[in-house]
Amino acid sequence: MASTLDDEIEDLQTKVSSLKRQIRIHTSTLITAPSTRLLLTEDEPSTPSLTLPRAGNNNHNNSSSITDSLLKQKLVSQSALQQAHNQQCLYRACAGITTFRARDPDPHAVDGGAILGLRIEVVSRARFLRPYYVLLNRPYPGPEASRHLRVHRHTLPPCIPLAGLAARYLPAPTVGGKSGSSSREDGDAGAARAQQKQDLARFARALRREVVRYHHRLGIIADLKKAAGLGRPRSGEGESPERQLVDISPADAEAKQLTIEWADGRTGRLVMGDDGEILKLVVVGENGRDREAGRDLLGGAVRVEDVVKRLATLV
Amino acid sequence: MARLSVPTTARLPSSVRVDPSHPTATKILGRLSRSSLLSIALDWLDDSNLPLAQPYLRRDSDDEEFENEDADDLYPPERSVEAVREIYFSLQARKGSKREVLDRITEGDWRHGLTLYQLAMADLQYLYDHPTSQQWSAYRVVPLKAPRDSDGEEPPEVDKQSLTIPRFHPSTFLKTLQAQVLPDIKAHYNFDAHKSLPLLLLRIFILDSPYNTNLGLQTTTITTTNFDASRTVYIAFPDASPHIFISKPQTTTVSSSTASSIAPGGGGESKSLRTLLLEGIPKALSRPLQRQRFTLQSTKLVTRNLAELVERRGGGRTNHAAGGWSIYADERKRETPLDLVLPSPPLSSELSEEGEGGRRDGGGSKSAGGKRVVPPLMSDQEKREERAAKRARLVARARFGDTAKVGDGKGVERVDVVLEDAFPQGERENVEEEEEERDEGDRAAGRSARGGRKTQVDAALERAEEEDEDDDGRREDQPAGGWRPNVRLTFHGPHVFAGIRQLVECGIIDGERMPGWMTGEEGVTIGAVRNGRIRGHKGSGL
Repeated sequence: MASTLDDEIEDLQTKVSSLKRQIRIHTSTLITAPSTRLLLTEDEPSTPSLTLPRAGNNNHNNSSSITDSLLKQKLVSQSALQQAHNQQCLYRACAGITTFRARDPDPHAVDGGAILGLRIEVVSRARFLRPYYVLLNRPYPGPEASRHLRVHRHTLPPCIPLAGLAARYLPAPTVGGKSGSSSREDGDAGAARAQQKQDLARFARALRREVVRYHHRLGIIADLKKAAGLGRPRSGEGESPERQLVDISPADAEAKQLTIEWADGRTGRLVMGDDGEILKLVVVGENGRDREAGRDLLGGAVRVEDVVKRLATLV
Repeated sequence: MARLSVPTTARLPSSVRVDPSHPTATKILGRLSRSSLLSIALDWLDDSNLPLAQPYLRRDSDDEEFENEDADDLYPPERSVEAVREIYFSLQARKGSKREVLDRITEGDWRHGLTLYQLAMADLQYLYDHPTSQQWSAYRVVPLKAPRDSDGEEPPEVDKQSLTIPRFHPSTFLKTLQAQVLPDIKAHYNFDAHKSLPLLLLRIFILDSPYNTNLGLQTTTITTTNFDASRTVYIAFPDASPHIFISKPQTTTVSSSTASSIAPGGGGESKSLRTLLLEGIPKALSRPLQRQRFTLQSTKLVTRNLAELVERRGGGRTNHAAGGWSIYADERKRETPLDLVLPSPPLSSELSEEGEGGRRDGGGSKSAGGKRVVPPLMSDQEKREERAAKRARLVARARFGDTAKVGDGKGVERVDVVLEDAFPQGERENVEEEEEERDEGDRAAGRSARGGRKTQVDAALERAEEEDEDDDGRREDQPAGGWRPNVRLTFHGPHVFAGIRQLVECGIIDGERMPGWMTGEEGVTIGAVRNGRIRGHKGSGL
C-alpha cells in the first residue's frame, strides 16, 4: 500500500516538474512575442502618470495599481532579459565563438578581476555540446602592455595545444630584455613581429579549429565503430569470424591514431592527419606485417570517411 | 629457466621466481588482507595469468612417492589447477584467518616460488586496497626544441610554441626506458590498467643486480643487501593527457626507508633511482627520429590521491578550471544555445537546493522555497545569524563552485605555501596558522576597499614581470618594497580545500576576502604567494 502511494507521489512529482518545465518554455516564448511586447510597452509611459494623481483619493485602488505597475515593470525587465538571452543564443548558435565578460572572485585578482571569456561552441552528432571556455585577463603592467591578454583559466582538454597557440598568437609583451631569449631563438621575422602584437581573433579561430577538428576525429572514430558493427550483437554469418574487427579505439590523446583489432589477433594502427586524411596504416599479424589486410581495410581510401563508407557496405 | 646467469641489459622476465620465504615476498603478501589474498590467488589461477603463475602440482608419475614422502605435508599438492581453484573458492566461502591463506600460498601451492608477475599483481592489489598508500607527484610532458648544434652541448630548450601533444605507446615506451636503465640494475615492469580511474599503471621493481635470472634474487648466494635496495616505483599515465604521475620510490624493507627521502640528485645509486627515472622517462617518450623530444616539468602537485590527480592533470576539462571556475567545466550542466529558457544565475538556486534537490529548476519555486526556509518565530539576532550563515554558504559556493566538498574523494592532504608579500602596514600579524588565515583576509580587506585597490593592482602589475620568470621555478629575492617576513603556511588534513570551504561556510574565514589560492583553484600543492596570488600563473597551465 505504502509503495503504491509513494509511486503515486513520485508520479505526480515528475508530472509537476515536467509541467513546470513546459510553463517555463511557454513563458520564454510568450514574453518575447511581438504582441506581448506591444502590450507591455504601449501604455508604459502613461502608467506612472495615472497612478500618481490618484494617490490621495482611493487607497485600495492605489495599492492595486501600484502592484500592477510593479508587476508590469517586472515583466518588462524579464522580457528585456529574455530578449538579451535570445540574442545571445542566436549569436552562440551561429557564430561558433562568442565572448562574454566575467569577474574573478579573487580579491587579489589582476586588473580589478576583469575577465574576458571566450566561448567556443562544439557541435557533435547534431547536438551542441557543452561549450569550451577560455578566460583571459590582462596581468601586464605598463601603458602599452596593459592591453595584452593572457590565458587565465580554461576548460579545454589537454589534447588541444592551447599553450602553443597562446604562445603564437597571444605572446607576452616584450619588456626590457625580458623575452629577448625567446625572440633570439626564433630567427624568422614573422615570429619576431608576432612577439609584439597579440591577435585575439586569430587565436580564437585557430583554437576553435583545433577543437572542432578534435571532435570531428572523435566523431569519425565513433562512425568507424558503428560501420564495423562494433557494440551491437554479432550476427556472425556472412564473413568468416576471424576476419571481423573486434575493436577500434583511439590510441592517443589527440585521437589521431587508432588501434584496430581483428578477431584473429591481428592488430593495426591507423594514423590520420589533422583533418582526417589517412597518413599510415600498419597491420601486424602473427607472421609480421600483413600488408594484404591493410589494403583490404583501406581499399584505396585516402580519408577516414571513405573507410567508414567502405566498412558500412561490407558489414 | 636459464642455467647460466650472464649480465645483460635485458629486463627481468616476469617468470622469474622468488622464494616465498624471501623477505620481500613475505612483506608484499603479508600486508594484504585475507579477502585480497584470496582474490589475487584466484586471479593467478585464472587462465590468462596461469602461464606466469603455475601452482605447485603433483604429477601422476610420482604418485606413490608423494604418498609416502609427504605424509606430514600440511598442504599436499593437488593434481590440477581446477582442484587448486576449488580450494581457494572454498576458502573464500568460509571465514578464517589471514595466516591460513598466506601459509597455503607460500608453503603449499606456490612453495616452488612466486613469480615476479605474481608479486607485481599482489603489490597492485595493495595499491587498490589502499589507494592513498603512495605519494604521487605530477609532471607535465613538454616538447623540447630541436637542438640547433649538432654536438648537443647546449641544453635543449622548452618549445613553448609547439603544437605537438606528446603521445605515449606502452610497449615502445618500455623498450626505450629499458635502454635508459643502466646495465647493473635490473628492473621488472608490469603494466596494469587502473580498475576505476582512467589510468595506466606501470610498476617498476628495481633490483641492484646485473643478473636477469633468479640468481639475482637468491638470498643464499648473494647477501640480502642487494634485495634490500630493491624498490618499487609506480608510474601512472592518465588517459589522453600529457602528464605523468610518479610515485615516491619505496623500499621493500623497513630498514632502508630513510633512503627514500628524495633529495634532488641524491647520493648513491639506489637513492638516485628516482632521478634516474626522471631522466629516463622523457627520453623513453621522445622519438628522436621524428625530431620529437620531450622533457618532464614538475607541476608542483604532490598528493596521495590519484582521483585528485586525474581531476587536475587528467584528460578532462577540469585541469585549469578549478575552484570557483569549475562551473565552467561542469559536464553535467547542459548549456545549448537552442534552449531559450532563461537560465537562472548560478547562485540563485542555492535556496531551493538546500532542502531538496528536485526543486532546483523553476524560477517560480524559488520564492516559495525562500518562504519555507525561514521559520516563523525568530528573534532578530537569530534572523541575522541565519542570514549571515546563508550568505557564507553562498559565498563558499561562489568561490569553490562544486569542488572541495568533503565527500568527493578528491582532496589533497598537504598544501605548502610561502608568503612573499610585504608586511602589511599598520596591522598586527600573528604567528599561528589559524590567525594567519584571518590575517590574510584582513589584508585583503584593506586593499579591496575601493580607493586603495587601484594602487595595489598597479603595484602588482609592475611586478608581474618578475612573475613570468617564475615558470621555471626560479626564485629571486626582492628586498625592495618593505619588510617581507618569511612566512610559510602548511595546511594539513585529509582534504585541505574542503576544510577551508567548511571554514568559509561557518563564517570563520571571510569568503569574500579570501585569496584565490585558498580555494585550490591554482591546482598546486606547493607554491609561493606574491601579491596575493600564486606566482607563475599555475592555474592556466601555460
